[in-house]
Amino acid sequence: MLKINSVSKTFNKNTPDQHKGLDNLSLNVSEGEFVTIIGGNGAGKSTLFNVVSGSMLCDSGMIELGGEDITYEPEHSRAFFIGRIFQDPMKGTAPNMTVGENLIIAYMRSTKKSIMKYPSKKDKMFIREHLAELGLGLEDRMNTKIGLLSGGQRQAITLTMATLVKPKLLLLDEHTAALDPLSAKNVLDLTNKIVLDNNITTLMITHNISSALALGSRTIMMDSGDIAIDLNTDERKNMSVQDLLIKFNRVKNKEFDDDNALL
Amino acid sequence: MSLVSLIGAIELGLVYSLLAFGSFISFRILNIADLTVDGSFVLGAAVSAVFVYNGMPHTGIILAILSGALAGIVTALLQTKLGIQPILSGILTMTGLYSVNLMVMSGKANIPLLNKTNIFSLSETLIGGKFYKVVILLIIISLVFAILSWFFRTQLGLSVRATGDNEDMCRASSIDTDAIKIVGFAISNAIVALSGALVSQMQQSADINMGSGMVVISFASIIIGSVLIKNKNITLGLLSVILGSVIYRLIIALILTTNFPPSYLKLISALVVIIALSFPNIKRKMEISKMRKGYKL
Repeated sequence: MLKINSVSKTFNKNTPDQHKGLDNLSLNVSEGEFVTIIGGNGAGKSTLFNVVSGSMLCDSGMIELGGEDITYEPEHSRAFFIGRIFQDPMKGTAPNMTVGENLIIAYMRSTKKSIMKYPSKKDKMFIREHLAELGLGLEDRMNTKIGLLSGGQRQAITLTMATLVKPKLLLLDEHTAALDPLSAKNVLDLTNKIVLDNNITTLMITHNISSALALGSRTIMMDSGDIAIDLNTDERKNMSVQDLLIKFNRVKNKEFDDDNALL
Repeated sequence: MSLVSLIGAIELGLVYSLLAFGSFISFRILNIADLTVDGSFVLGAAVSAVFVYNGMPHTGIILAILSGALAGIVTALLQTKLGIQPILSGILTMTGLYSVNLMVMSGKANIPLLNKTNIFSLSETLIGGKFYKVVILLIIISLVFAILSWFFRTQLGLSVRATGDNEDMCRASSIDTDAIKIVGFAISNAIVALSGALVSQMQQSADINMGSGMVVISFASIIIGSVLIKNKNITLGLLSVILGSVIYRLIIALILTTNFPPSYLKLISALVVIIALSFPNIKRKMEISKMRKGYKL
């Protein structure tokens, strides 16, 4: 589904601050695969997402999604088939618009309805049903301004917005990191359910190594702009956080006292 | 206040409420203070004046709307495609428009339109009475109001609102925020130019300097309106703008009945906007200092 072919991205090129965000990275993700991504700060996880979603363009290499070359496509036109959720719950929704209006925008955009069209009763019902599936009682708060909701609720709505119409690819950028532990767990459970139910190809960045190993079907560890470790379902089945760190040390031949170095 | 000056104030309030509609779209919905308004208002007046002079008041209004939209598009392009700061983009277009407006008016600073046919003189023969101007203005405003409140419920309108509210979310929802800003500014300035066209037909003249301070006047109307009616949604917001604009003109008319020199009016408008915009901040600071004093005791 997603093919990333030797992609590189350098920041502050030709200056003393030159830094390789992505270093000749290649990655193949097949349809329906749920990949969790871990790695230290500056490993290139977010740069990878930026390059795939189009908020940055890569210096070299090629990105293909569903057989289409999207390397230089602008961000907003990629967003038709790529759903993205950020760490900051404030980023994914428009605070001064109602729950219903936010979802209507996402729905009408992704179904490519005419821009002068008015949302129909049917559209509203469709959205209501989807909200009800979250089990948070938000379907009765369709006319509430999003800004009045909690971070967890906002993140759950962003998740719904990104998946109302099945995206070809879902990018989750530490989307539970800013939430309290309970909300984080709820949103993570919802994510898992929605992704599995709809068989959505997903990449998820997380700083929580145990949930990286528990969720999804494949785990990637990134370091200095490239993939350091790539574990498939069988390989990671019996792996603990400690095992993974030992493996990482061996691959990179670096010293880590404990997983604090990664967090 | 006499009945004549009361009706006059209401007429002015109504005709300038269209100006405030335009600013409402850029200032409240797109969240950008658009200074193009000072120029596009005169542009509308100038274009309309040229056509009224030649006996085509209706064509004048339509072309004024189109020229205003064009001015808005220029500002939006400066902001989005050329990356110039929003406020500066507005100032640049406004400054450039001064020359354009003079060109439209064939180099004259003033076009008198006394005894020329305009939509108000036409409606006088049709409706008659004392209120014909108010009636025709109410019809036009209702029309613009209806179109706008419909528009902001369509997908495009919702996208305009979302762009002003959260650009990150828009781009993630496949909305081209640059294109949306262009649409928003075009509509905003089209309505401002309509307001300018109507003002010039009502006052039977167009003047190159009639636009100065229009941004502040429109903000004052928006703010007065939002104090009176809480802007829960766009429809209420637009209604509050009409009310705010009429009340602003009534206040001015009241001030004019006293011996107060009219030259201070713009200073007062600026003060109204400053006080209204800083009110929440001052209130908070006063509360904090009250808390501190209580703590010391």
